[in-house]
Amino acid sequence: MSHSDTVPLHQSSQSDIDEIESLINASVQSGPATVLPARPPSPPRASIPVVSSSPFIQSNLPPPPPLPSPNQKVPSVPAPAPPPPPSIGASGFGPVPNTLTEPVWDTVKRDLSRIVSNLKLVVFPNPYREDPGKALRDWDLWGPFFFIVFLGLALSWSASVKKSEVFAVAFALLAAGAVILTLNVLLLGGHIIFFQSLSLLGYCLFPLDVGAVICMLKDNVMLKVIVVSVTLAWSSWAAYPFMSSAVNPRRKALALYPVFLMYVSVGFLIIAID
Amino acid sequence: MQIFPPNNGGERGKGYQTLGSPPEGFEQQPENGSKGVFSISSYTQYFNVDTDIVLNRLMSSLYPIGGDFFSKIDANPDLYGLIWISTTLVFMLAAFGNCATYLMEKHSDSTTSWSFDVSYINLAAGSVYGYAIVVPVAFYFLLQYLGSNASLVRFWCLWGYSLFVFVLASFLLLIPVEFLRWIVIILAGSASACFVALNLRSYIAENLSLMVVAAFFLQFALAIFIKVWFFP
Repeated sequence: MSHSDTVPLHQSSQSDIDEIESLINASVQSGPATVLPARPPSPPRASIPVVSSSPFIQSNLPPPPPLPSPNQKVPSVPAPAPPPPPSIGASGFGPVPNTLTEPVWDTVKRDLSRIVSNLKLVVFPNPYREDPGKALRDWDLWGPFFFIVFLGLALSWSASVKKSEVFAVAFALLAAGAVILTLNVLLLGGHIIFFQSLSLLGYCLFPLDVGAVICMLKDNVMLKVIVVSVTLAWSSWAAYPFMSSAVNPRRKALALYPVFLMYVSVGFLIIAID
Repeated sequence: MQIFPPNNGGERGKGYQTLGSPPEGFEQQPENGSKGVFSISSYTQYFNVDTDIVLNRLMSSLYPIGGDFFSKIDANPDLYGLIWISTTLVFMLAAFGNCATYLMEKHSDSTTSWSFDVSYINLAAGSVYGYAIVVPVAFYFLLQYLGSNASLVRFWCLWGYSLFVFVLASFLLLIPVEFLRWIVIILAGSASACFVALNLRSYIAENLSLMVVAAFFLQFALAIFIKVWFFP
């Protein structure tokens, strides 16, 4: 543990910080509150001019922060219309500093809420499930990553021997499996977006995660079989509309069978690991 | 206005679309796609099958005497069968192999408890994928060397579908009676080996019976290996 929480800063970094805080001040006048700086802002410096009409494709973000965040919604961004007043030297940064200088908890909370909303869309019954375009528009890869690693950890924890090999096998199976399943749909002439499909297949692992945790806690074979069957059916039901609508209806079974195979093999791993 | 990045009609990435050109999935190039090794659309021609076609080919792989498999797949050989039948076989061997080993030990010594051996998965994957990919390549090069024409994709298709019998046999191999297991594997092995050998013979124009016999014995050896390693 450090005994002082502030480290003495270099001269130039102090003025950078002051400048950023002054921008926050400026945007605070027109938007929601952010953290107010403790010291008065330093005099304005020359800035890099940024063209306000961006060549980038419009996404969920308000116009044009130059930082790459293609799919992030920024709920705490101030009203997009007025550029900061010209008395401040740096006129081009706009609402960007809020994602740079916001507290870490805000970033984490935003990602967590996105994971939860994606989960609700994919795995639980809701009116948007039949429309794959709408279902996972705001896809992300954090959720699938957590679920895959968690499933590997749960299986590795349950195993009595060769724990690291079990984790490796589970992780490789799920990660490579998701990629191969997506490639399978693309090769069959289907139309999906690669990362959206990876994201969906990862989210559909959530029921199997729940099943793995239950099986980890209670080691009865009959219970395991029942729990895994139920969660397997749930996972398959979650993945079905997305996969089946992505390909030609005559090839639906060809696209769905590998998904089913992957979930059955994961289910078998959950039951069999003792 | 500059289209960015410039499209020279060269290699296109997966799903990448430039302005003014149709997306990848709609054009089916009749010749082998000149779009490059890493582009999806140069491989879609090998997956141009529907569910009923695949089922038809699966059923015909169960008839060892037919000898007409190549004429069936000639216009449209597919790699879907190879990939997913071999993957299914890997899973079956790993899963049922563990079950069968447990049942056999339980049969002889009722105090054994279930233990799951993860290395079955690695071994099954290595052996099945290795066999299904390497053996057709070897035959292809050998036949090319000996002057006969051969098509690698069709060989992969043939060997891929020939593994389907083992998928079905692995269900029967669970029964923990040694004699029955040997009967099952010999039947399955010879059916699969006859399928491969007879189709190969009807495909090769010259009289290369050594190749045909070698194919027969390799397939049979795979069957014996499966029995000995996974279903002892």
